[in-house]
Amino acid sequence: MSTQSLGRTVRTVKPIPQARNKFERAMWVFMRYSGLALTFLALSHFGFQHIVIGTHNITTEQTVQMWGESGKSISLNQLAWRTYYMAILGLAMLHGLNGVRQVAWDYIGNNKGLYTLFMGVVAVLSVVVTILGALALIFGATSMK
Amino acid sequence: MEGLMTIIKEGWRYKGAGNIMWMAHRISGLGIMFFLVLHVFGMSMSFFNPQLHHIMLETYKTPLFAVGELFLAACLVFHAMNGTRIALLELRPQWWLQQKKATQYSLLAAVVIGLPMIVIMAMASISHLVK
Repeated sequence: MSTQSLGRTVRTVKPIPQARNKFERAMWVFMRYSGLALTFLALSHFGFQHIVIGTHNITTEQTVQMWGESGKSISLNQLAWRTYYMAILGLAMLHGLNGVRQVAWDYIGNNKGLYTLFMGVVAVLSVVVTILGALALIFGATSMK
Repeated sequence: MEGLMTIIKEGWRYKGAGNIMWMAHRISGLGIMFFLVLHVFGMSMSFFNPQLHHIMLETYKTPLFAVGELFLAACLVFHAMNGTRIALLELRPQWWLQQKKATQYSLLAAVVIGLPMIVIMAMASISHLVK
């Protein structure tokens, strides 16, 4: 990208500096693209469960119907739901975890001990919960009947 | 904490609307992340402990969570619309001249999408509680 004409003003748009910190650059790119994807994925999920189905109509049976019962063969429909939720789960958790990291760095980053402790707790908690969620999506729901 | 107060006070005075959006983006993001962890835990229990899964789904139907649901919708829609603006503008630097308009559009989109959702959910919750 060299000089670009922007209306009346002419500004030089510099490319993003090349990888002084490869991890931060990768996360910067990831936050933008995962955010755009989550706008559709998360909003469609929220709209479907809260508006189309309605929070008060959600039951354990609905989960079993949607995901399929564990130990039984699943339909194509249920496989599609599980893939959809797996995508949201992974993207949202990574997006959220990186967001918390940036905010924590800004406000408690000067206190290395507190920052490490806080991020350790947040990371362990969200990774454990993500693994639980992923396992449930892989194995399916258990019927209460 | 003192640093945070300075950021809010001076940000308002010196940086204007963009800074408020930046702050709101962080707050809504943290709120969503908090519920996300709770929600994924609750849903994973559908496999590990259906009884607990049932209890968590019923908890979402209580008045406290019905109000929380409205806040979640507001946070989610705002974060999504404002985030789309950030992503699009930062990936397309030639649109930077339209910053002000983009901010207004993203707020407008959040209200247009979010308000009907909040009204529908609030009415559903009220009619469920009245029953």
